[in-house]
Amino acid sequence: MLLRTIGLTRYFGGLAAVSNVDMSIDEGQIVGLIGPNGAGKTTLINLISGFLRPSSGSIIFDGHDVTRMKPHLHARIGIGRCFQAIPLFAEFTTFENIVASFYLSADTSLWGSLFNTRRYRRKEKDILKQAEENLEFVGLREVKDELGKNLPHGHQKVLDLAAALAVKPKLLLLDEPIGGMDQDEADLALKAIKRVHAGGATILLVEHNVSVVMGLCDRIVVINYGRKIAEGTPEEVRGNAEVIRAYFGGDYAA
Amino acid sequence: MKRNRVSGFGIVGVIVLLSLAPLFLESYYLHLAILVFIYVMMTSSLRTIYISGQMSLGHAASMAIGAYTSAMLAKHLGWPMWFTMPLGGLAAMIVGVLVGLPFSRLRAIYFSMASLFFGMMVTTLVALAPEWTGHYAGLPAIPRLFGFSKVPYYYFFLALVLLTLLILYRLEHSRLGMTVKSVAQSYLAASSRGINERGIRILSLGIGGFFAGIAGAGYAHYAGFIAPESFGVMPSIFLLVYLLAGGKGSFAGPIVGTAVLYLIPYAMAGFEGYAPFFQAAALFAVLYLIPDGIVGLPRQIMSWVRRLRDRKKAEYAA
Repeated sequence: MLLRTIGLTRYFGGLAAVSNVDMSIDEGQIVGLIGPNGAGKTTLINLISGFLRPSSGSIIFDGHDVTRMKPHLHARIGIGRCFQAIPLFAEFTTFENIVASFYLSADTSLWGSLFNTRRYRRKEKDILKQAEENLEFVGLREVKDELGKNLPHGHQKVLDLAAALAVKPKLLLLDEPIGGMDQDEADLALKAIKRVHAGGATILLVEHNVSVVMGLCDRIVVINYGRKIAEGTPEEVRGNAEVIRAYFGGDYAA
Repeated sequence: MKRNRVSGFGIVGVIVLLSLAPLFLESYYLHLAILVFIYVMMTSSLRTIYISGQMSLGHAASMAIGAYTSAMLAKHLGWPMWFTMPLGGLAAMIVGVLVGLPFSRLRAIYFSMASLFFGMMVTTLVALAPEWTGHYAGLPAIPRLFGFSKVPYYYFFLALVLLTLLILYRLEHSRLGMTVKSVAQSYLAASSRGINERGIRILSLGIGGFFAGIAGAGYAHYAGFIAPESFGVMPSIFLLVYLLAGGKGSFAGPIVGTAVLYLIPYAMAGFEGYAPFFQAAALFAVLYLIPDGIVGLPRQIMSWVRRLRDRKKAEYAA
């Protein structure tokens, strides 16, 4: 088991955005997290990646208790994430965005930066090579030298994915990776996600497009009003009465 | 590659000219040049903090800490200046880091406000130990580095500013600089890539503080007299104006901005009272006309010319 949440709860004021969620993800799976708008999906992702602290409960990742760990330390133990609203390095080019994301592979000492030591140069050379590979991997070679802020939305999202891969995540959290994309962009992104998964990463993704989730995921977790209401294979979840009720309202649960 | 070589020749040319300057200039101009060197250190170190996404309105406080530390140790304890000056830089660096610990939680305007009030507070500290600091009246008779002639000072500060710029340039154009700039652009992306974004911003405050402290210490042992008003809110704001006017986006920006704006009052002998108007005009020009600052001026003029030409062409065509 790669990730496990136990009784995970987070309040905003008096409202439980995530309430008592027990969830686990095995290594190598693609797990889909679905639920109606406002169900608490992004909150759950923010809790797992450390951008929010839970009100109670705990999160175990790969043997570490990461419940109260700072976000940048999550990256170091192998939790990568992509965002719903893309936080690019807007003034960097596509390529620089990826290179900057290889922070954990770099020699970041004051000494190395100042004196351009052999160790520093070797690491930077490795990073340039890997960044080229990542660029190739997500198919952004043609826009290598465009500024991040000038890229179309779909390219920005895929760039976010390429940059997230720079931390070499064991678990990759994707918050609506194809949200707002047209069909071509979505195909590009889905291809990239499948390749990431084939490369050995475990994936937890939030997505609104149910058919995409059904087609892509090994397992699906459904939450509503912050609570987990169903879990299982796509087939199991599809037939679950409570899921149908959550999505379509009570009358359809026949 | 070619452009690099051209600007490389340009830089070497400027350094040669600056090293020969004492042969031609009288001591009054050397004095101005020395002050420009000191303030270039200030503005460039302010930019080191700026590129991490923190707009400090209290940078002169770091200068004060360096100046007072070095001046008091040299004057009251008789410590040698080659030792007290680095200590001044170190003290400013430590204070920068200590202040950064809480301040790095703040962003944008909230950081600026906190730094503003911190800057105001630092200069009032002179009241705590008047016999050491000279109170608000200032600290006189600080040991000087060299004798009466400006020439050794000139070379000393030229070397100091060049060394400072070299170090800051190397840092900015390295992995560390890239990381600092990435933090400014998106702390969310930065921290999800494993970057301790608060740590990076604290580091910027420490590095910026160090060079400002060195500049302050140098200033104290050049002028022989320091007073709190030299390091208050207005000097801090002026540093920011130099940076913005010169061009915050480029390494040369603070250098050019300081050289031009600092000298405006001196260039207007007899009309010094109007200098603030000209400095304000320079700032407004930047805000409205040349967003890339004075260093962006050539390119901006090119684009104006091009636009004018295109308009003419369109008129002929019509």
